[in-house]
Amino acid sequence: MNADLPLVDPDGYDAVCSLIDGCLVCGDVAVKVRVVEAGDPDALCEDGHGRRGTVGVELVAPVEVGDELLVHGGVAITKLGGGG
Amino acid sequence: MRFVDEFRNAEIARSLGAKIAALAEPGRHYKIMEVCGGHTHTIYKHGIEDHLPDNIELVHGPGCPVCVIPMGRVDDGISIATRDGVIFTCFGDMMRVPGSNGSLLDAKAAGADVRFVYSPLDAYKLARNNPDREVVFFAIGFETTAPSTALTLMRAKTEGIKNFSVMCNHVTIIPPVKALLESPDLRLDAFIGPGHVSTVIGCRPYEFIPADYGQPVVVAGFEPLDLLQAIHMIMLQLAEGRAEVENQYGRVVAWEGNLRALQVMQEVFELRPYFEWRGLGFISQSALKLSPAYADFDAELRFEVPGVRVADPKACQCGEVLKGVIKPWECKVFGTACTPEKPIGTCMVSSEGACAAYYNYGRFARSRARAGA
Ligand code: SF4
Repeated sequence: MNADLPLVDPDGYDAVCSLIDGCLVCGDVAVKVRVVEAGDPDALCEDGHGRRGTVGVELVAPVEVGDELLVHGGVAITKLGGGG
Repeated sequence: MRFVDEFRNAEIARSLGAKIAALAEPGRHYKIMEVCGGHTHTIYKHGIEDHLPDNIELVHGPGCPVCVIPMGRVDDGISIATRDGVIFTCFGDMMRVPGSNGSLLDAKAAGADVRFVYSPLDAYKLARNNPDREVVFFAIGFETTAPSTALTLMRAKTEGIKNFSVMCNHVTIIPPVKALLESPDLRLDAFIGPGHVSTVIGCRPYEFIPADYGQPVVVAGFEPLDLLQAIHMIMLQLAEGRAEVENQYGRVVAWEGNLRALQVMQEVFELRPYFEWRGLGFISQSALKLSPAYADFDAELRFEVPGVRVADPKACQCGEVLKGVIKPWECKVFGTACTPEKPIGTCMVSSEGACAAYYNYGRFARSRARAGA
């Protein structure tokens, strides 16, 4: 898949703030993704629906393949799973 | 993803509901505010109130970042977007927020080059790919999205990109909470603290709430059981006469927050002396602007913006909804003149807005309740 694909369907901005998942980008609820290709400052990640995109990971670096991250506005703000 | 199912178990939800009910003193009315729009969304979507006794009221707070943008800022944004050569970018929801003369979406329909992006990094990419155009990002959000704007600006500065700028509308969560605590028309018993804002700022900033106002705060996650558990923790504190900051969302939120994110924000932003919040009015030191080191990237300085102030439409009662003084359905235009398709007020725009969340889910639960189901 193309590494530049956004994490959510780019056609129709309604998809951004879906009534099912809540507000994905601008609100307090983040998108959960898994790292599929590590990198710094950007890593290739996949969301729960199998969609892939690059995510800025400077704030949680270093990341490894398989790490789960919470992403806001294309940037990971925390790594999951550490605290259980 | 992995922890969704275990946080939606109906059996556990019922037993938590029973424990909460057992802690509620008969004859006492409890008002608990969830500050964050994400929580409002979960509460309506999953019918959390159905699990609570009648004397526990959930009050929706001002935590939807789209809902608190005043009309004047939308108008200022449109004044930049309609200039020759500008590509104006923002998050999807923001495009539908009405200004005094239409929304950014209307401006786009009239020919302005307005595009929605998922990340400020995407806006920045547009700038790099279109060196002959001015690309502006309309930044909104609390401490959750501010780090992504900050990182983007740091990259732009390092790479010396000149045709990129940000119109900064980032807001901070603590000052409006303080304003609500000082507000005489609202008496609250406790707060459900925002989950993901707290991944950045940590739990410490809430300590003044129990210390100065004697009210418990429990930082909570976004699954239905997260919220019920947080309400249970609050009720335990109230029953035992305690007032503390507790962290229900320890699997995600570290007590200290994300220090690197805070550092990055500190470098790129500084506090505005005051900022106008829709419905709440001016709140001092409640929003961010670019620091002097990043002044070259400040769209408000690069383009002369009119800096207009516009009063909210008369029919609109978003201010009262944002303060939790009235429920969405008590607004005179709710569901008639104001709907998600044609919003009058901002609370109807984003699915995190109390009015939209209630319009989409809550009204069914309410009519069920009225029918005695
Ligand atoms: S119904 Fe519309 S106008 Fe009334 S408070 Fe809600 S968003 Fe504002």
